[in-house]
Amino acid sequence: MAKGFYTDTTVCIGCKACQVACHQWNELPAADGGRTELSGDSYDNTQTLSAVNWRHVKFIEQITEDRASDGFLQGSRWLMMSDVCKHCVRAGCLEVCPTGAIIRTEFDTVFIQQDVCNGCRACISACPFGVVDIGHDGKAHKCTLCYDRLQQGREPACAQACPTESIRFGEVTDLMQLAEQRVAQLKAENVDAYVYGKEEILGGLNSFYLLVDKPEVYGLPSKPELPSHNVDTAFELSGVAAAAVAVTGLVAFRKGRMDEMARAEGND
Amino acid sequence: MWTTNPGSGVALPPHWGWYVILYFFLGGLAGGLMVIAGGLELVGDERDTDAIRIAHRLTFPLIIACAFLLIIDLGTPIRFWHMVFKSERFPELVIKPWSPISLGSWILTLYGGVAFVNYFFADRVRGRRAWMILEGLAGFGLAGYTGVLVAGTSNAVWHNARLMGALFLLSGVSTAYALLMLLLPATSSTQRKLNDGDFWAVVLEALVLLIMLIGLGSLGRVFWSGWFGVVFWLGVVGLGLLAPLARHFTALNPRRAAMCVLAGGLLLRFVIVMSPQFPRVALWHL
Repeated sequence: MAKGFYTDTTVCIGCKACQVACHQWNELPAADGGRTELSGDSYDNTQTLSAVNWRHVKFIEQITEDRASDGFLQGSRWLMMSDVCKHCVRAGCLEVCPTGAIIRTEFDTVFIQQDVCNGCRACISACPFGVVDIGHDGKAHKCTLCYDRLQQGREPACAQACPTESIRFGEVTDLMQLAEQRVAQLKAENVDAYVYGKEEILGGLNSFYLLVDKPEVYGLPSKPELPSHNVDTAFELSGVAAAAVAVTGLVAFRKGRMDEMARAEGND
Repeated sequence: MWTTNPGSGVALPPHWGWYVILYFFLGGLAGGLMVIAGGLELVGDERDTDAIRIAHRLTFPLIIACAFLLIIDLGTPIRFWHMVFKSERFPELVIKPWSPISLGSWILTLYGGVAFVNYFFADRVRGRRAWMILEGLAGFGLAGYTGVLVAGTSNAVWHNARLMGALFLLSGVSTAYALLMLLLPATSSTQRKLNDGDFWAVVLEALVLLIMLIGLGSLGRVFWSGWFGVVFWLGVVGLGLLAPLARHFTALNPRRAAMCVLAGGLLLRFVIVMSPQFPRVALWHL
């Protein structure tokens, strides 16, 4: 059975306990040796997921002209979301990895084998969510969904640390039911909530989200495609170009030969 | 409403720098040289032997240079062999034809083999139809797959550039024509054939570039606006496409035109690779 995360962004308080727990458990170093500059973007100085930040809490301040809040998540509001690898059912990184370093585990999660990865970086540009990154050790890194903890029957460090249960870990099907119930509850309160990461997004995301605004507002793509989506067409068009340049080349060579022969005959 | 930036949620840059730019350029050149040599073998005459020999003498060192660039570009170069062998179950092979980078590793291997034979044992294979087909596959494969590799990413600009493989292939062939024209004596009868072949390769390249940019719409701005736009319009379009085309209608020296094609080919790779990654990846990144 597939294991994953359900992140209810409406109860996230931006405490970053998940980021800290992830750093602690996975012994992730500070970025740039701890010399990170202030970003100026709310409380977010991490800015992006990276080789050393496998969790990233996003802060979206939406402030209206009158600055007034009008009920739960209405009017001026702060949206917060703990981002992480989506462990996609159809994962772009796994698809392109030429070495076989990226595998699907027995928990249906996507895992990078550090002893196989050679740092070709194909997975980095393949991920439509900007999750995978190259580390200073020359290998690709991202959330392992605490594979080591899962093997011991424990839940991932981030989910365990989350004080508001914004991040929940479990069977994906069970989590999806929970999410649907929560969506219904929020809709009853006139909050326009929905689940991001159902089947229509890359076959489903094993780490999915409950959102209350468009995906782009959270820095998520609304219709992500697999990197291979255009590859067949690109190869076919290359074939057409090859045929065209072969024909023009052969005609030029043939014509050149004919001209030479005609010139030789003329001289005779 | 005022809102903050939620942070990047789109594909991160793969940190491709000059090793990759040079590889794309030299790979295109190598692919084009093999294709042209094959074409001259097929329909040329004995006076083209010099051009064929030069192409064969170049392809093998070029593919060695390409392999070297790719290996030093890896985060962990010592594991370069993981591209073709399963490291945990050696000597089982890793073949993922749906992945351009995996397929590319095999195209490089095939090309390397063909180039090796052409370099050391050309007399034994010359004129064989099956060998020419293999040369065509390896040459076009190497010149074209690098563009498909770019299109096979999740970066919005690259991902939507379905003609990138065709563009790189045509650019590879046109730069190979140009290099051969520079290396052959000006009096060689093959010069005229190469000159004509190059003209049509550049015409096709310009056409594909135009269609690709129209198809990309506003996404393509990253290539043709700002500082990269200066390089694009002056270097890629002016120097690499218009100047070589003008040689057929003006008194521009064909050898100078050939140099323009080579410079344009390199700048094309620079703009395509760097502009969507900048400023997260520095211009001097290796």
